[in-house]
Amino acid sequence: MAAQPEPDAGQEAAFAIATPAAARRERIFLVVAAVALVLLVVVPLASTDQAQSAGLPLLVDRYWFRVATIVAMFVVISAAWNLIGGLAGYPAFGNVVYFGIGAYAVALLVTRYHWSFAAALGGSVVVPAAFAGLIGVPLLRLRGHYFAVASLGVAVAVGEVINNLDYFGGASGIFMPIVRSDLLFYYLMLGAALLAVAITWVVLRTRFGYGLIAIREDESAAAVMGVNTTVYKVAAYALSAALTGLAGGIYAQWNVFVNQDVAFNIDVSIDSILMALIGGIGTIWGPVLGAVVLEFLIQTFSGRGDLAVVTQIGLGLLLTVAVIFLPRGVVDFLGGRSSLTLAYVRRTLRSSGV
Amino acid sequence: MSEPGEVLLSLRDVTRRFGGVAALDGVSFDVGRSEVLGVIGPNGAGKTTLLNCISGVHRLDGGDILLDGRSLRGLAPHRVARLGVGRTFQIVKPFGSMTVRENAAVGALFGSSEARLPTRRAFAHADEVLALVGLAPKRMLPVASLTVPDRKRLEVARALCTKPRLLLLDEVMAGLNAVEVDEALEMVRAVHASGVTIVLIEHVMRVILGVCQRVVVLHLGRHLAEGRPADVLRDPRVVEAYLGEKYASRYAGG
Amino acid sequence: MNWGEQVVLGLLLGGVYVAVGLGFSLVWGVLNIVNLAYGAMVMIGGYVTWLLFTHTGIDPFLGLPVNLVVLFAIGYALQYVVINRVVRAPFLYTFLITFGLDLVIVNVLLLIFKPDFRSVTTWYSGAALSVGPILVPYIRLWSLLVAWALAAVMWWILNRTRTGDAIQAVGSDRDAAQLVGVSLSRTYALTFGLGAACAGVAGALIATYQAITPTAGEPYTLQAFVVVILGGLGRVSATVVGGMLFGLVQVLAQSAPHLGAGYQNAIAFGVLVLVLLLRPQGLLGRTV
Repeated sequence: MAAQPEPDAGQEAAFAIATPAAARRERIFLVVAAVALVLLVVVPLASTDQAQSAGLPLLVDRYWFRVATIVAMFVVISAAWNLIGGLAGYPAFGNVVYFGIGAYAVALLVTRYHWSFAAALGGSVVVPAAFAGLIGVPLLRLRGHYFAVASLGVAVAVGEVINNLDYFGGASGIFMPIVRSDLLFYYLMLGAALLAVAITWVVLRTRFGYGLIAIREDESAAAVMGVNTTVYKVAAYALSAALTGLAGGIYAQWNVFVNQDVAFNIDVSIDSILMALIGGIGTIWGPVLGAVVLEFLIQTFSGRGDLAVVTQIGLGLLLTVAVIFLPRGVVDFLGGRSSLTLAYVRRTLRSSGV
Repeated sequence: MSEPGEVLLSLRDVTRRFGGVAALDGVSFDVGRSEVLGVIGPNGAGKTTLLNCISGVHRLDGGDILLDGRSLRGLAPHRVARLGVGRTFQIVKPFGSMTVRENAAVGALFGSSEARLPTRRAFAHADEVLALVGLAPKRMLPVASLTVPDRKRLEVARALCTKPRLLLLDEVMAGLNAVEVDEALEMVRAVHASGVTIVLIEHVMRVILGVCQRVVVLHLGRHLAEGRPADVLRDPRVVEAYLGEKYASRYAGG
Repeated sequence: MNWGEQVVLGLLLGGVYVAVGLGFSLVWGVLNIVNLAYGAMVMIGGYVTWLLFTHTGIDPFLGLPVNLVVLFAIGYALQYVVINRVVRAPFLYTFLITFGLDLVIVNVLLLIFKPDFRSVTTWYSGAALSVGPILVPYIRLWSLLVAWALAAVMWWILNRTRTGDAIQAVGSDRDAAQLVGVSLSRTYALTFGLGAACAGVAGALIATYQAITPTAGEPYTLQAFVVVILGGLGRVSATVVGGMLFGLVQVLAQSAPHLGAGYQNAIAFGVLVLVLLLRPQGLLGRTV
């Protein structure tokens, strides 16, 4: 075995198996990410009125804004899911319920109680978190399949209730006052995405993150080591709800309209899980990569009629293939821990298959 | 062993049932401070159930367990850990996706009220403990690459990182060859020397004789005998429990 | 409608749920796989029956053997080739892979059959038996009998044959089963195939009274889940109890004053969440 470099007392990253090649690849990745971030922030500014009248070229158009905002939204939802599904090991299949609660919170606070959008966004964070805190205690006592489907049940149940109560506008939903600004919502979602990634990064470096991962790896051992598993699980669940709710709140104003189909769409949950899977469950950058890749694919191949059907078939096949061959996601290769070789694939198949 | 301050752990009439079967039935004994107490008994005697009851994994159906006079009954496992009880599992339960170092650090990040260290110090403490058990050179490795003896060492290290007053070891020697047992014995002695009270479940009698000051024998969930290792192992009731009546009468003399 | 008629209809509907639940329960109990593509497989069964009926005129009940064979083959192949690759990974992955398969199956059906509704109307579709004041539709009655027969056959296979022994062995202790020479990959495939065959039968029964379309299978996956949770995992008798009970609950709940047919999913989920929170092991199951 090659000599391991001596780590200093502060080296604590949860997934760092330090080899020089891996460290180099990780540094390159971070540099690329930083550059991408700067571009994402600066380039769209060229489309502001001031920039346009100054003669700057229109680098990005409305379509791009739309797609980019949606990608950012899925980064938030997927990263949020990652906290409870990836880190804590409790894959919730109904997290979209918090998207919906956040969206309706904003819609109601703005239209019915005349709050400002900014203040209402606070509601889109707090209300879902409170709901998750309450329902999480009994829900997180369940494990495995039971938890997954029960969480799905909650999403469907809440969606149905909202669809049937007039307070929430019933089936015809709620219309919000129109705010026309692609730029504003783009930056809001981008900000939320950065927040989600930052939160994941912080969590993974602190006791909270280690506690969650310990719970995922072996909950009874974690409990015996002193981890208050109930509090930690519910906290992760509430945090993921808060972030997801924020995405929903921003989306509500951007879309100007909310109803059950818009806000409680199970596909959103499934897509976000798929994104975390493709990118890398339990990692910081996995949801980001997954959201970018998958949303790009969806946008490229979406269409009407038969094309839409074929796209779904493609998505299903992609999911199947990803689950079989890349269960740890793409991030595994970027982090330098593995390379996509035949040996890697064979090892994966051998450990997961019969 | 009757001075109040000298007793760290006291089991009073502990009973635990699974369905209709009493896995533990009215078990009572004391563990002295800084003692190494062995718990032995044939398979099915209830030894692991005993550890599970002490550490809060199982609820008691009867009786009580006192740690320094404080009742552990009804406390969740993490609360028992917070009071200073650390334990290992018979079939090791490492945190698979973490490195050796991180596994140990989890003990230091949580654990007893003496532990719960901030991240940097938790890792420093983990390094010290790993050195104590002899895993220092391997601390950056993923646990999947460890051999069985090393996994057992990690299991002990992780429990030690919680800075326990009382350490429960469940068959740490199982699956080790003679040389590995000697090394593990050294480790247990070192741990004891650092001031930790140890309760040790074992089948390997060499270990019991080598490190335990007293031994408790369980049989079919009941307290059968107690005393110094050499005495207990000669007790005909103990021999009979392990080997059956035929052998007991044969060895009655010695 | 009076209560008596409600109860009878509930029990009749329960038959369908028994058929729906059997395949799902088997695969979940033995392979620990929650098959999210189950509803889609039920629909395949429905389409097999429809094709048979419209192109050859074969009666849906008489054509059941075809359903059994076709769905068994599909299920066996799917498990052997695809799902076997992830059976030892954490359950999330089997969950996701069956979801992916569901997407593929539903959309392939859409491609082939289009979203139009198809129905199977036999000469006896509307006929009913008069039992006192209650009208018992023949189709429903025969579906109930078929479902119970299927349950009996499944029980017999699982408890009285060598194959069943192998399946149960693999279900309780995979490694031990391997040690005595059971082929895991083939037993898994066999189990999944049997589950699929049950789905095929359920699909045939459903096609006799309901118009089918590729996306109509979704609720059945959920309902299968509820049936299993309600009755308990692991035994045919548990699934029978769960299915009959769920049929009753569905009919009675839908006729309650404030609810209606649109609440089908909500009722199913309501029962599900309640049972999970109060008695996760179901009525007849072992402790979770």
